[in-house]
Amino acid sequence: MSRRGFLALSGISLAGALAACAGESTSTTHLRLSSWNIPTDLETYQRIADEFVADHPGTSVSVEVTTGQFHQWFITRLAADLAPDIIRITPQQIGRYAANGSLVDLSGAIPADYADDYSEPFWAIGARENGVFGIFQHTDTFITFYHRDVMKQIGVTPPSSLDEAWRWDEFLQIAAEVKKVTGRYAFGFGWSGTQTAYRWLPIVYQNGGAFLGEDGQTPSMDTDEAIEALEFGRRWYADELVSTSNMCKSGGGDVSRNMFLTGQIGMMLNNPEPITQLDEEMPDQWGTTYMIRNTDEASDLGGNALAVTKSSKHPGLAAELVAYITSREKMVDFCHEGNWLPARASLDAADIDYAAHTDTMQQFIDQGARIPLSLVKAESGQYFSSLNTVFADYADLCFLGELSPSDASAQMMDAMRSVTAG
Amino acid sequence: MTTPSGIATRPTATTAADDDEPRRRSRSKAPYLFVGPAALLFLAFSLVPIVVAIGLAFQETATLGDGTWVGTDNFERLGSDPLFLTSLRNTLIFTVGTVPTAMVIGLALAVALNRPLPGRAVLRALFFVPMVAAGVVVGVIMSWIFNTDYGVANNLLGVVGLDRVPWLTSPQWAMFTLILVVVWTRVGFCMVIYLGALQSIPNELKEAAAIDGASRWQRFWSVTWPLLRPTTSILLILNVVFSLQAFDVIYVMTGGGPGFSTTVLIQYVFRAAFIDARMGYAAALGLVLVAILLLFTLLRQRATRKAEEVL
Repeated sequence: MSRRGFLALSGISLAGALAACAGESTSTTHLRLSSWNIPTDLETYQRIADEFVADHPGTSVSVEVTTGQFHQWFITRLAADLAPDIIRITPQQIGRYAANGSLVDLSGAIPADYADDYSEPFWAIGARENGVFGIFQHTDTFITFYHRDVMKQIGVTPPSSLDEAWRWDEFLQIAAEVKKVTGRYAFGFGWSGTQTAYRWLPIVYQNGGAFLGEDGQTPSMDTDEAIEALEFGRRWYADELVSTSNMCKSGGGDVSRNMFLTGQIGMMLNNPEPITQLDEEMPDQWGTTYMIRNTDEASDLGGNALAVTKSSKHPGLAAELVAYITSREKMVDFCHEGNWLPARASLDAADIDYAAHTDTMQQFIDQGARIPLSLVKAESGQYFSSLNTVFADYADLCFLGELSPSDASAQMMDAMRSVTAG
Repeated sequence: MTTPSGIATRPTATTAADDDEPRRRSRSKAPYLFVGPAALLFLAFSLVPIVVAIGLAFQETATLGDGTWVGTDNFERLGSDPLFLTSLRNTLIFTVGTVPTAMVIGLALAVALNRPLPGRAVLRALFFVPMVAAGVVVGVIMSWIFNTDYGVANNLLGVVGLDRVPWLTSPQWAMFTLILVVVWTRVGFCMVIYLGALQSIPNELKEAAAIDGASRWQRFWSVTWPLLRPTTSILLILNVVFSLQAFDVIYVMTGGGPGFSTTVLIQYVFRAAFIDARMGYAAALGLVLVAILLLFTLLRQRATRKAEEVL
């Protein structure tokens, strides 16, 4: 091939590659939906989207994967106006983007009675005074897993209803007994890295405290209730009930799950994710009961919402697809396939028809209904991504004993104020 | 040329030069064509972002949209930001801990492998493998190995009757563990570079020193080491750059914790930019990092030049 020929061919190939990068079909209205890299979910999203496309001739939908660190990924794509049309986003991530105009108001595309099938806390994840910027699709929360054998050895029958859930003092007494049986530690907490530090915040709410005030913006970790909660957390480590390798910032994934599987702990506070592995590695040897509580009840706010980004060239159609995916029928489909907990209040475990552990999944659903509105407002607020990191920093120092609970509270408040001051 | 053939060929040569003119002109463009794409990429992905980052450092910028000009406010805030000072201190400890250690071990390995040994090629490759492994992969594997409760490291200590070590869970141990891991990844690189330099030193010099009665240590210290100085200088700068940029292993293994004990400057830049969405402040932090690196490089170059003058 001649040099000119080579250059011409290279030019044509480059132009073709650039056109392909645009990823948009010229003959159809194309939407992109981005989700976490969970193969089952990606397949289900694509199947549901294909059904939507069948009802909407002239459209097409591709499901993509959200890669790397979320904020870095999303901010850079928004800045380049190349964000996907629809984004799967956690309650803790949505606040910043709902506040800064990165997400589109979905109010016009959803039926007027759409909110009726949602609890107030779950609807509040996406709803703001000036619109609805996301619809909660599925939830995820914490309950208590236990080794059946350990409970038998200490002669404890775990609670079978929410009203009987262990209070803090009772839980610590049981934990001390569990530690004697395991010979190592008593229980674990299902963090998996700094970005999940917020999973501990329900402990503050269980004691009547709050991370942020009623406005969802004013730091309030200096109340007696919040400091008592930090003291409670400190005891976990001071009494060696929990290993220091199981902390907010610990690397290596879900440490509590590994310790539960290796018998080094007899209980763990965690979400439904470990179930598959527990079934594989210790079938019939584990059970579940409800999340611990104190004066109040609260548990982790997990799960995801769907939102339409400002980069979308077809926000109306994208909002329609969001409404379609979060419809009652499709929510059942999605939760059944992915073993997720439904966000709609009218759905229970029997409706979802889980492949296994219907009772456990119902426990999760019931526990999720006790997540307080104030916790939702705090975690889905404008500054939460930064505040979560601040919480991780000082909770870590407090639990390790590097700072007293009151000092940790004071320093955390200073750092939180510097964030919320903008 | 005064030969007849030379005189005879002169007109022909002139004609040939005229014929070569377009080719010469084309050749004079060729370097630009070759350099052009790289220069374009450098311009788009390095120079322009650097200029934009300098501009950003003097602005208060939210996640999206235009910033507000705030002069030197971002730099003034650095002095009173405890996390900046902590991360600066941690960066210094991390750099001092990793750079000389990796270089000394790398040099020792290079000297050991610079002689006929069975399986020498395999050993060289094995030492170099950690350098090419992705930082995230190394971080995840090391998190497991150094887990206090079910990691291989503590199990091995248990086998020889030693107590468990809180490798990553104690503020006093975590930085040491990270340095250990990073040194492990870096040693192979230092070894390969030193090995190349050792093999370029003429044997005659060492032989002459040996004939003069120099001991093995004297031969190394007075002949080999001075000749390795340019390599050491380059390795030192590269290793300092690597250490200042070390992000992935720390992010995966400790997330900067426990507490702030392993939060380094580059992590704080990332946190300010993408967690706190303070792009202007992150740019200012980034410029401080660049300034430290520039200062270090200049000092190192000056020191090397002085040493060469002495020699």
